[in-house]
Amino acid sequence: MININNLSKSFSTLEVLKDINLQVNSGEVVVILGPSGSGKSTLLRCINGLEELTSGTIEVSNIVVDAKKSHKERNKQIKKVRLHTGMVFQQFNLYPHKTVLENVIEALLIVKKWSKNDAEIKGETLLKRVGLIDKKDVYPSRLSGGQQQRVAIARALAMEPDILLFDEPTSALDPELVDEVLAVIKELAQDGMTMAIVTHEMTFAQEVADRIVFMSDGVIVEEGPPEEFFSQPQTDRAKKFLKKM
Amino acid sequence: MDVIWVNLPFLLKGAYYTLLITIISMFFGSIIAVIVAVARLKGNKFIRWMARAYVSIIRGTPTLVQIIIVYYGLADYGLNLQPLTAAYIALSISIGAYLSETLRGAIQSIPKGQYEAAYASGMSPYQTMRRIIFPQAIRVAIPPAGNTFIGMLKETSLVSVITVTELLRSAQLLIAQYYVYMPFYLAIALMYWIMSTGFSFVLERIEKRLSIYD
Repeated sequence: MININNLSKSFSTLEVLKDINLQVNSGEVVVILGPSGSGKSTLLRCINGLEELTSGTIEVSNIVVDAKKSHKERNKQIKKVRLHTGMVFQQFNLYPHKTVLENVIEALLIVKKWSKNDAEIKGETLLKRVGLIDKKDVYPSRLSGGQQQRVAIARALAMEPDILLFDEPTSALDPELVDEVLAVIKELAQDGMTMAIVTHEMTFAQEVADRIVFMSDGVIVEEGPPEEFFSQPQTDRAKKFLKKM
Repeated sequence: MDVIWVNLPFLLKGAYYTLLITIISMFFGSIIAVIVAVARLKGNKFIRWMARAYVSIIRGTPTLVQIIIVYYGLADYGLNLQPLTAAYIALSISIGAYLSETLRGAIQSIPKGQYEAAYASGMSPYQTMRRIIFPQAIRVAIPPAGNTFIGMLKETSLVSVITVTELLRSAQLLIAQYYVYMPFYLAIALMYWIMSTGFSFVLERIEKRLSIYD
């Protein structure tokens, strides 16, 4: 599903990702852990082209983005990749000038050119799935953070992505609102959705992950099934990280 | 007061031209503003430079001078514009520069996350601008743009110098006929004030309509 090879990413002189190799298989839930500044979010953002690659390749649903190719060619590929990926952001990034339902169906109308009727039926189904159908005509500013994030998940699902990317989906939420969002993500995992999740919620990671990827200083230090990672971390850095949690 | 009542139709016709010039200049000025704002934000080096030069020149010179250049100056090159046409052109170009800065600021105030959410869902930069960024930027730009529009309404009095019979010139023509100043000047001052207030009212309504999502 995702195949990352020798990916490096620098912001001017600062190298934030160093020679990353990572595979995510269909139906797999990969949770990326690591201290702040370890490059987790950047890695996620490279997958759907929100960050440009400095070197290496990323393959998503058989579409290859190669850092060696021309800018124009890469952009073409990235645009295709984005049709196969959905993203959920830390700050939700709902469109404030559109209602909940409009937020969910916007890309269906604009990118996929669905008819309004079809899109609304689809949007309503998704809002039911995240438990917010009664809020469909409300503007995002009227919703709690947890509700906003659930709408954002519905919006990402609307495009029927092969894989969902979550960039710290609960980090901006009040503690009492975290669970409702995690519950939705867990349901998606049970339904077999392929997901890559960056999070600081350890218990959640343990429950939902098929595999943990632990990053530090721009490299993947350790990866494995959650039972192993949490009970017997192999590296000192992972041990230190888990102790602090 | 009688002289006012008798000549009211004439003054109202002047007010009509004042409004007409304001609205037409607002319309074309807004189109210029959108193009210039986007050019400054998204254009290549040359286009950005052009847009900056335009804004700098227009904001750095008196509107009166711009009007005179368009009407009298261009005539030197055989371009004899009708006074009203010259007024439309000069004022549209003038207001476009101010509005483009307002709009640019408004576009820049939209958080980066809005672009990212739109891009991540597969939208093109154009679609993102049109559907996501612009509608939000307009909302931010409305109050300061409203000030510019009201300023515009008053600046139309400047085109009296190129013989457009708008409100101020209507009064001047009547004064030349009756040899009294105060009644006419007070009357048009009142008419300007009524029109400005009307404008503010309309803008407030628009602002309210656009802010339903707050």
